[in-house]
Amino acid sequence: MRSFRHEVERLREYEDVVDISEIARRLFAMNSFDGILTILGVLVGNYLAEVRVPQVIIVTGLATSVSMGVSGLWGAYLTESAERQKSLDDLGELTLTDLTNTRIGRASRAAVVIVALVDGMAPLLASVLVLMPFFLAGALGDITYSYYLALAIAMVGLFGLGMFLGRISRQSTLLAGLKMIVAGVVAVVLSYLIESAIPG
Amino acid sequence: MGKILRLVLDVLKPHNPSIIQLAGELSELTGVEAVNISIYEVDQRVENAKVTLEGTNLNYDEVLRTIGENGGAVHSIDEVVSGRMIIEDAATPQDALS
Repeated sequence: MRSFRHEVERLREYEDVVDISEIARRLFAMNSFDGILTILGVLVGNYLAEVRVPQVIIVTGLATSVSMGVSGLWGAYLTESAERQKSLDDLGELTLTDLTNTRIGRASRAAVVIVALVDGMAPLLASVLVLMPFFLAGALGDITYSYYLALAIAMVGLFGLGMFLGRISRQSTLLAGLKMIVAGVVAVVLSYLIESAIPG
Repeated sequence: MGKILRLVLDVLKPHNPSIIQLAGELSELTGVEAVNISIYEVDQRVENAKVTLEGTNLNYDEVLRTIGENGGAVHSIDEVVSGRMIIEDAATPQDALS
Protein backbone atom coordinates (compact mmCIF):
# COMPACT_ATOMS: atom_id res chain seq x y z
CA MET A 1 0.00 0.00 0.00
CA ARG A 2 2.81 2.32 0.94
CA SER A 3 4.76 1.52 -2.19
CA PHE A 4 1.60 2.05 -4.29
CA ARG A 5 1.18 5.50 -2.75
CA HIS A 6 4.84 6.12 -3.40
CA GLU A 7 4.39 5.18 -7.07
CA VAL A 8 1.36 7.47 -7.40
CA GLU A 9 3.37 10.27 -5.82
CA ARG A 10 6.19 9.63 -8.26
CA LEU A 11 3.83 9.63 -11.23
CA ARG A 12 2.40 12.94 -10.07
CA GLU A 13 5.92 14.29 -9.85
CA TYR A 14 6.65 13.07 -13.39
CA GLU A 15 3.42 14.67 -14.59
CA ASP A 16 4.73 18.00 -13.29
CA VAL A 17 7.92 17.61 -15.30
CA VAL A 18 6.69 16.22 -18.62
CA ASP A 19 3.22 16.16 -20.04
CA ILE A 20 1.69 12.70 -19.71
CA SER A 21 -2.02 13.00 -18.97
CA GLU A 22 -2.95 15.26 -21.86
CA ILE A 23 -1.50 13.04 -24.56
CA ALA A 24 -2.70 9.88 -22.77
CA ARG A 25 -6.22 11.32 -22.61
CA ARG A 26 -6.13 12.21 -26.29
CA LEU A 27 -4.90 8.77 -27.29
CA PHE A 28 -7.40 7.07 -25.00
CA ALA A 29 -10.31 8.84 -26.69
CA MET A 30 -8.93 8.45 -30.21
CA ASN A 31 -8.11 4.77 -29.88
CA SER A 32 -11.25 3.78 -27.99
CA PHE A 33 -13.12 5.41 -30.84
CA ASP A 34 -11.01 3.43 -33.33
CA GLY A 35 -11.61 0.23 -31.36
CA ILE A 36 -15.39 0.64 -31.24
CA LEU A 37 -15.72 1.59 -34.90
CA THR A 38 -13.45 -1.21 -36.08
CA ILE A 39 -15.28 -3.87 -34.10
CA LEU A 40 -18.58 -2.38 -35.26
CA GLY A 41 -17.38 -2.89 -38.83
CA VAL A 42 -16.41 -6.49 -38.06
CA LEU A 43 -19.82 -7.14 -36.50
CA VAL A 44 -21.80 -5.55 -39.32
CA GLY A 45 -19.69 -7.55 -41.78
CA ASN A 46 -20.41 -10.76 -39.90
CA TYR A 47 -24.09 -9.95 -39.66
CA LEU A 48 -24.42 -9.20 -43.37
CA ALA A 49 -22.41 -12.29 -44.25
CA GLU A 50 -24.97 -14.16 -42.18
CA VAL A 51 -22.57 -15.47 -39.63
CA ARG A 52 -24.69 -16.83 -36.82
CA VAL A 53 -22.11 -18.78 -34.81
CA PRO A 54 -20.99 -16.88 -31.68
CA GLN A 55 -17.59 -18.60 -31.60
CA VAL A 56 -16.74 -17.36 -35.09
CA ILE A 57 -17.71 -13.80 -34.18
CA ILE A 58 -15.79 -13.99 -30.89
CA VAL A 59 -12.65 -15.33 -32.57
CA THR A 60 -12.67 -12.81 -35.44
CA GLY A 61 -13.58 -10.00 -33.02
CA LEU A 62 -10.95 -10.89 -30.44
CA ALA A 63 -8.27 -11.36 -33.10
CA THR A 64 -9.09 -7.91 -34.45
CA SER A 65 -9.11 -6.40 -30.93
CA VAL A 66 -5.79 -7.97 -30.00
CA SER A 67 -4.22 -6.80 -33.25
CA MET A 68 -5.45 -3.29 -32.56
CA GLY A 69 -4.02 -3.51 -29.04
CA VAL A 70 -0.63 -4.71 -30.25
CA SER A 71 -0.62 -2.11 -33.01
CA GLY A 72 -1.42 0.66 -30.53
CA LEU A 73 1.14 -0.51 -27.99
CA TRP A 74 3.94 -0.95 -30.49
CA GLY A 75 3.20 2.11 -32.57
CA ALA A 76 2.87 4.42 -29.59
CA TYR A 77 5.95 3.00 -27.89
CA LEU A 78 8.14 3.51 -30.94
CA THR A 79 6.85 6.94 -31.90
CA GLU A 80 6.64 8.27 -28.35
CA SER A 81 10.12 7.06 -27.40
CA ALA A 82 11.58 8.57 -30.58
CA GLU A 83 9.80 11.91 -30.03
CA ARG A 84 10.57 12.11 -26.32
CA GLN A 85 14.21 11.14 -26.83
CA LYS A 86 14.58 13.87 -29.42
CA SER A 87 12.94 16.40 -27.13
CA LEU A 88 15.22 15.33 -24.26
CA ASP A 89 18.32 15.55 -26.46
CA ASP A 90 17.31 19.00 -27.69
CA LEU A 91 16.83 20.17 -24.12
CA GLY A 92 20.16 18.60 -23.13
CA GLU A 93 21.86 20.52 -25.93
CA LEU A 94 20.41 23.76 -24.62
CA THR A 95 21.58 23.16 -21.05
CA LEU A 96 24.80 21.44 -22.21
CA THR A 97 24.09 18.46 -19.94
CA ASP A 98 23.12 14.84 -20.35
CA LEU A 99 19.58 14.63 -19.01
CA THR A 100 19.24 10.83 -19.29
CA ASN A 101 19.59 10.12 -15.58
CA THR A 102 17.82 13.20 -14.29
CA ARG A 103 14.21 13.50 -13.18
CA ILE A 104 13.26 14.73 -16.66
CA GLY A 105 14.89 11.69 -18.27
CA ARG A 106 13.10 9.26 -15.95
CA ALA A 107 9.80 11.12 -16.39
CA SER A 108 10.18 10.92 -20.19
CA ARG A 109 10.76 7.17 -20.06
CA ALA A 110 7.78 6.67 -17.73
CA ALA A 111 5.64 8.77 -20.07
CA VAL A 112 6.54 6.53 -23.01
CA VAL A 113 5.44 3.40 -21.14
CA ILE A 114 2.20 4.95 -19.84
CA VAL A 115 1.22 6.40 -23.20
CA ALA A 116 2.01 3.11 -24.98
CA LEU A 117 -0.11 1.17 -22.47
CA VAL A 118 -3.04 3.55 -22.85
CA ASP A 119 -2.69 3.46 -26.62
CA GLY A 120 -2.70 -0.34 -26.63
CA MET A 121 -5.29 -1.01 -23.94
CA ALA A 122 -7.90 1.56 -25.03
CA PRO A 123 -8.91 -0.07 -28.35
CA LEU A 124 -8.56 -3.56 -26.88
CA LEU A 125 -10.88 -2.88 -23.93
CA ALA A 126 -13.35 -0.86 -25.97
CA SER A 127 -13.74 -3.57 -28.59
CA VAL A 128 -13.92 -6.41 -26.05
CA LEU A 129 -16.72 -4.48 -24.33
CA VAL A 130 -18.67 -4.36 -27.59
CA LEU A 131 -18.09 -8.09 -28.09
CA MET A 132 -19.49 -8.95 -24.65
CA PRO A 133 -23.01 -9.92 -25.84
CA PHE A 134 -21.52 -12.74 -27.94
CA PHE A 135 -19.94 -14.26 -24.83
CA LEU A 136 -23.46 -14.29 -23.41
CA ALA A 137 -25.05 -15.57 -26.63
CA GLY A 138 -26.18 -18.78 -24.89
CA ALA A 139 -28.05 -16.86 -22.21
CA LEU A 140 -29.52 -14.35 -24.66
CA GLY A 141 -30.98 -17.08 -26.89
CA ASP A 142 -31.25 -15.84 -30.46
CA ILE A 143 -27.90 -14.49 -31.72
CA THR A 144 -29.70 -11.55 -33.35
CA TYR A 145 -30.17 -10.20 -29.80
CA SER A 146 -26.39 -10.36 -29.32
CA TYR A 147 -25.93 -8.34 -32.52
CA TYR A 148 -28.47 -5.73 -31.41
CA LEU A 149 -27.07 -5.56 -27.91
CA ALA A 150 -23.52 -5.18 -29.27
CA LEU A 151 -24.72 -2.39 -31.54
CA ALA A 152 -26.37 -0.70 -28.57
CA ILE A 153 -23.21 -1.04 -26.44
CA ALA A 154 -21.13 0.40 -29.30
CA MET A 155 -23.45 3.40 -29.61
CA VAL A 156 -23.54 3.96 -25.85
CA GLY A 157 -19.73 3.65 -25.84
CA LEU A 158 -19.42 6.20 -28.63
CA PHE A 159 -21.84 8.52 -26.86
CA GLY A 160 -19.88 8.16 -23.61
CA LEU A 161 -16.63 8.94 -25.41
CA GLY A 162 -18.21 12.00 -26.98
CA MET A 163 -19.42 13.14 -23.57
CA PHE A 164 -15.93 12.63 -22.18
CA LEU A 165 -14.46 14.82 -24.93
CA GLY A 166 -17.24 17.35 -24.51
CA ARG A 167 -16.49 17.63 -20.83
CA ILE A 168 -12.79 18.17 -21.50
CA SER A 169 -13.47 20.90 -24.05
CA ARG A 170 -16.23 22.35 -21.80
CA GLN A 171 -18.73 22.16 -24.63
CA SER A 172 -22.13 20.55 -24.71
CA THR A 173 -21.65 16.93 -23.64
CA LEU A 174 -24.91 15.93 -25.34
CA LEU A 175 -23.88 17.43 -28.67
CA ALA A 176 -20.39 15.92 -28.47
CA GLY A 177 -21.93 12.52 -27.69
CA LEU A 178 -24.30 12.77 -30.63
CA LYS A 179 -21.45 13.71 -32.98
CA MET A 180 -19.73 10.46 -32.02
CA ILE A 181 -22.87 8.44 -32.61
CA VAL A 182 -23.13 9.93 -36.10
CA ALA A 183 -19.70 8.41 -36.84
CA GLY A 184 -20.99 5.00 -35.72
CA VAL A 185 -24.10 5.33 -37.87
CA VAL A 186 -21.99 6.37 -40.89
CA ALA A 187 -19.78 3.29 -40.41
CA VAL A 188 -22.81 0.98 -40.26
CA VAL A 189 -24.50 2.58 -43.28
CA LEU A 190 -21.30 2.39 -45.36
CA SER A 191 -20.93 -1.29 -44.48
CA TYR A 192 -24.49 -1.90 -45.69
CA LEU A 193 -23.79 -0.02 -48.91
CA ILE A 194 -20.66 -2.09 -49.51
CA GLU A 195 -22.66 -5.27 -48.96
CA SER A 196 -25.34 -4.21 -51.46
CA ALA A 197 -22.72 -3.07 -53.98
CA ILE A 198 -21.00 -6.44 -54.04
CA PRO A 199 -22.95 -8.89 -56.14
CA GLY A 200 -23.37 -12.25 -54.51
CA MET B 1 38.47 23.55 5.37
CA GLY B 2 36.16 26.38 6.38
CA LYS B 3 32.45 25.97 6.20
CA ILE B 4 30.61 27.48 3.24
CA LEU B 5 27.96 29.89 4.53
CA ARG B 6 26.70 31.39 1.28
CA LEU B 7 26.72 30.36 -2.35
CA VAL B 8 25.45 32.33 -5.31
CA LEU B 9 25.18 30.28 -8.51
CA ASP B 10 24.23 31.09 -12.06
CA VAL B 11 22.10 28.18 -13.24
CA LEU B 12 20.58 27.35 -16.62
CA LYS B 13 17.59 25.05 -16.23
CA PRO B 14 14.55 23.77 -18.12
CA HIS B 15 11.20 25.38 -17.18
CA ASN B 16 10.21 22.14 -15.49
CA PRO B 17 10.79 21.10 -12.71
CA SER B 18 9.86 24.58 -11.52
CA ILE B 19 11.98 26.78 -9.27
CA ILE B 20 9.46 26.07 -6.50
CA GLN B 21 10.37 22.39 -6.66
CA LEU B 22 14.08 23.15 -6.94
CA ALA B 23 14.03 25.60 -4.02
CA GLY B 24 12.13 23.07 -1.91
CA GLU B 25 14.65 20.33 -2.58
CA LEU B 26 17.66 22.58 -2.02
CA SER B 27 16.23 23.81 1.27
CA GLU B 28 16.00 20.21 2.50
CA LEU B 29 19.74 19.58 2.09
CA THR B 30 21.74 19.36 5.30
CA GLY B 31 23.36 22.59 6.34
CA VAL B 32 21.01 24.76 4.28
CA GLU B 33 19.08 27.42 6.16
CA ALA B 34 17.57 29.43 3.33
CA VAL B 35 17.26 29.38 -0.45
CA ASN B 36 16.42 32.15 -2.86
CA ILE B 37 15.97 31.54 -6.58
CA SER B 38 15.17 34.30 -9.00
CA ILE B 39 14.74 34.06 -12.76
CA TYR B 40 16.43 36.79 -14.73
CA GLU B 41 16.05 35.47 -18.28
CA VAL B 42 13.48 33.24 -19.94
CA ASP B 43 13.92 31.46 -23.26
CA GLN B 44 11.53 29.16 -25.06
CA ARG B 45 12.52 25.99 -23.21
CA VAL B 46 15.08 27.07 -20.62
CA GLU B 47 15.55 29.83 -18.08
CA ASN B 48 18.49 31.43 -16.29
CA ALA B 49 18.24 31.43 -12.53
CA LYS B 50 20.26 33.07 -9.80
CA VAL B 51 20.37 30.60 -6.94
CA THR B 52 21.36 31.93 -3.53
CA LEU B 53 21.87 29.56 -0.64
CA GLU B 54 22.74 30.38 2.92
CA GLY B 55 23.35 28.00 5.76
CA THR B 56 25.61 26.74 8.48
CA ASN B 57 27.57 24.34 6.32
CA LEU B 58 26.68 24.13 2.63
CA ASN B 59 27.77 21.02 0.75
CA TYR B 60 28.54 22.15 -2.78
CA ASP B 61 28.55 18.61 -4.22
CA GLU B 62 25.07 17.95 -2.87
CA VAL B 63 23.84 21.29 -4.20
CA LEU B 64 25.33 20.47 -7.61
CA ARG B 65 23.73 17.00 -7.59
CA THR B 66 20.30 18.40 -6.70
CA ILE B 67 20.46 21.02 -9.43
CA GLY B 68 21.65 18.38 -11.92
CA GLU B 69 18.87 15.98 -10.89
CA ASN B 70 16.41 18.72 -11.79
CA GLY B 71 17.97 19.15 -15.21
CA GLY B 72 19.93 22.31 -14.41
CA ALA B 73 23.53 23.16 -15.16
CA VAL B 74 25.68 25.48 -13.04
CA HIS B 75 27.23 28.01 -15.40
CA SER B 76 29.23 29.86 -12.80
CA ILE B 77 29.77 30.29 -9.09
CA ASP B 78 29.17 34.00 -8.70
CA GLU B 79 29.79 34.36 -4.99
CA VAL B 80 31.02 32.27 -2.09
CA VAL B 81 31.17 33.22 1.57
CA SER B 82 33.08 30.90 3.81
CA GLY B 83 34.25 31.02 7.43
CA ARG B 84 32.52 31.70 10.73
CA MET B 85 30.43 34.69 9.66
CA ILE B 86 28.96 36.18 6.52
CA ILE B 87 30.70 39.23 5.11
CA GLU B 88 29.78 41.25 2.04
CA ASP B 89 32.42 42.15 -0.52
CA ALA B 90 34.43 45.18 0.54
CA ALA B 91 33.90 48.48 -1.21
CA THR B 92 36.78 49.68 -3.40
CA PRO B 93 37.36 53.01 -5.13
CA GLN B 94 36.90 51.26 -8.49
CA ASP B 95 33.26 50.51 -7.63
CA ALA B 96 32.42 54.15 -8.16
CA LEU B 97 33.54 53.86 -11.80
CA SER B 98 31.19 51.01 -12.65
